[in-house]
Amino acid sequence: METAVQQHTYKKENALFPFCKGCGHHHYVNHLDEALVKLNLDPNKVCIVSDIGCIGILDSLFATPHTFHTTHGRSTAFATGIELADGILNDSKLKTIVVIGDGGATIGLLHLVNAALMNVDVTVLLANNFLYGMTGGQHSQFSPLEFVTPTTPAGNIVPPMDICSIVKSCGATFVRQAAATDKQLGDVIAEAIAHPGFALVEILELCPEWALPFNKIDGKSINEKLHAENNMNAAAVRQDFTTLYKEKVLGSPKKMVDDTITPKYSSALNGTCRIVLAGTAGEKVQLASFLFMKSAISSTLHATQKNDNPVTQGSGFSLSEVCISSEEILYTGIDTPDVVIISSPEGLKEVTANGTLARCSSDTIVVAEQTLSEFDCAGKVSRLPLRALCTGSRAALSALASLNMIKGWVSQDALLEMIDGKFKEKSLLYHRDIEALIPFVKI
Amino acid sequence: MSAMNTSSIKIRTGNQMIAEGALFAGCQFFAGYPITPASGVYKSMIEQLPQRNGVAISAPDEISALAYCVGASGRGAKAMTATSGPGWALMIETVQYALMTELPVVIAMVQRLGPSTGGATQNGQADILFTEFCTSGAYTIPIFAPSTPQECFEVTTIAFKWAELLRTPVVILSDKEVGMMSEDVDFNQLKNTPPWYRKEFTPQNGRQHITYDFTDLEDVPLFAPVGGPNKVTMTGSAHDKKGTLQKNSSETLDVLIHLQKKIEARKEEMAVVRVDDQNDAETLVLSFGITARTAKEATRRARAEGKKVRNANVISLFPIPEKKLKEAAAGVKRIVVAEENMTGQYRSVIQALFSGKEIVGVNSIGKMITPAMIQNAIL
Repeated sequence: METAVQQHTYKKENALFPFCKGCGHHHYVNHLDEALVKLNLDPNKVCIVSDIGCIGILDSLFATPHTFHTTHGRSTAFATGIELADGILNDSKLKTIVVIGDGGATIGLLHLVNAALMNVDVTVLLANNFLYGMTGGQHSQFSPLEFVTPTTPAGNIVPPMDICSIVKSCGATFVRQAAATDKQLGDVIAEAIAHPGFALVEILELCPEWALPFNKIDGKSINEKLHAENNMNAAAVRQDFTTLYKEKVLGSPKKMVDDTITPKYSSALNGTCRIVLAGTAGEKVQLASFLFMKSAISSTLHATQKNDNPVTQGSGFSLSEVCISSEEILYTGIDTPDVVIISSPEGLKEVTANGTLARCSSDTIVVAEQTLSEFDCAGKVSRLPLRALCTGSRAALSALASLNMIKGWVSQDALLEMIDGKFKEKSLLYHRDIEALIPFVKI
Repeated sequence: MSAMNTSSIKIRTGNQMIAEGALFAGCQFFAGYPITPASGVYKSMIEQLPQRNGVAISAPDEISALAYCVGASGRGAKAMTATSGPGWALMIETVQYALMTELPVVIAMVQRLGPSTGGATQNGQADILFTEFCTSGAYTIPIFAPSTPQECFEVTTIAFKWAELLRTPVVILSDKEVGMMSEDVDFNQLKNTPPWYRKEFTPQNGRQHITYDFTDLEDVPLFAPVGGPNKVTMTGSAHDKKGTLQKNSSETLDVLIHLQKKIEARKEEMAVVRVDDQNDAETLVLSFGITARTAKEATRRARAEGKKVRNANVISLFPIPEKKLKEAAAGVKRIVVAEENMTGQYRSVIQALFSGKEIVGVNSIGKMITPAMIQNAIL
């Protein structure tokens, strides 16, 4: 946001630069200040988000803009949060400028990548001096080949990262590369700040303390490193994240589904009934227990439900534990189940492995698919043609609904209402299943 | 149908109720990254926050998720993220930054089985010390632990209040069982702490804003957002009240002491311990999170057998609610601390409060503690 009062500098008066003699950071600071003056931004609408390392202490040289001195490599992520809160929540136009070195850009690369992908309105000014200056001149992932540093005494053998290409490949719409000594740098930075959306300027510098003594490198070789292609925009200008978010996401969805349950039915259950359903992923085991839980609540009971499945979710066993109770449910585990329904071999394998079958008492009702192999269990085991009569995908719910018809744990009307509501015209299949299973369950 | 008769019962998980609590508390910014068992919070916030004109976004990792939140907090937004142990490990750097820069943020930490990637869908209550003692410099991170979906709502409103009031990161320490289990929740019965907003600086008598200004060590600096009319100087490095980097000045040391004092001074005010008393109790059963429910069941069964038992559900784990815990233990001979970890993590930090009493741990790893296990430890 431009201000009515002409700003002459944003720096502190007589600021003492903390950088070594000959360090490119001097130029960097002055060019940044030039850019701000050129744009004549309201200082309150500028936030300098600085990283760690020599360049990170630059914030202390600025008097009037907001400053946010962050952690190593994370400056772009903090800046992203600031920009989103500013642009979306406050509908404001704060200019968020990230000041980061090559070390910070390496450890925080994903933050740069994601900011470019999002096209968040943040300007990144990357000071690349090819090494970690503050910690003793160690080489970085930006060091050129053959670069000599305390950690590459034989010369660097790994090629440097090309950050401009990286962010371009992520759809960055403004990417520039320049030497810190470049007289036009102030203009380039001003252009970057003014650019709506993500902008990155890679500023090449020399570290007089660690680069110059060990390497044949000077202003000329720096200029040779500048690639003409890095000063062209790779991606077409596109909407920045804040604008897109306001347009497409904010305020949506217009309507939320009301899933309130009215306890309009009743149940004769006095105490708690703990049920385990075990079957195969994709066969609506967890849905069966959810509908049962819903009908329990509709029957003025309390209920809890928890599910288990292999990490891949869509394969192997599917397990669900549901507790229904006339009282508040305190303990949510199932030590001795009241009911176990096993609808497939995967389900049997799991209730065997997790100890459910071993914990059954002589009172436990166990309903198992007829074709399952033999298993040991102290409960009252009935083997039913669940899969033949109901198919695998209806087996668990139809078995539970027919058992409930006899036992009356929850209101059967409530359960049928849930089934009808969920499956619409296909609910007739469940009604037919229940009818077919009742004679078996009675036995 | 009159309003009185209108049902407000819904099926909700603990994770969903953390999201509901956050919305009630006025959360405006959420950034998430998928991780079982915390993803439910992320999904609920993505579903609901934009509708309320808030920002809910996806981050490319947990480090970004929390950094986005802290940046947004610096711009004045109430912010939250959610994760589990492996994600928390990545977030610690930024938790410390929020603490040092005095930027409020709430982190829902839904524990699972560790170590490493551990068991994504298995419960654990073994990240208590990992969460509390994660800062270099040893600062208190307020931690609140819910034991039911209903409590998830309430605890989240409490967490936001203290994050905003203290200007510091606050953790909701949930667990997989509380987070992923569904239960009937009556929205009319929910308890809450009313939304609290950080106190903002307003220029008076020409006074300039000083980012980390305080008079007494326990004072909380008045907040000004970056991007607002008052210049802000944020820094995660040691600093004076103005935010200037300094090493050993007495003012800088004061700032470092103040970061801890502002929390310690409100320790008793933050304490939430729910005690179910019984006359002449001989045993105190103390627990939190999912195990608190089991402990209540064990207490109920033990009383039915004629035993004299008091029960305490500790919700504010840190700062340790010393006064309330001592009161809860008054008169009992034995204290049973039930928690789903091997080494008795919470027991280890509170046992010094109970000299002269017998302290017994009930512990488990990889499976829930049962009521019988706790009953066996009751006198």
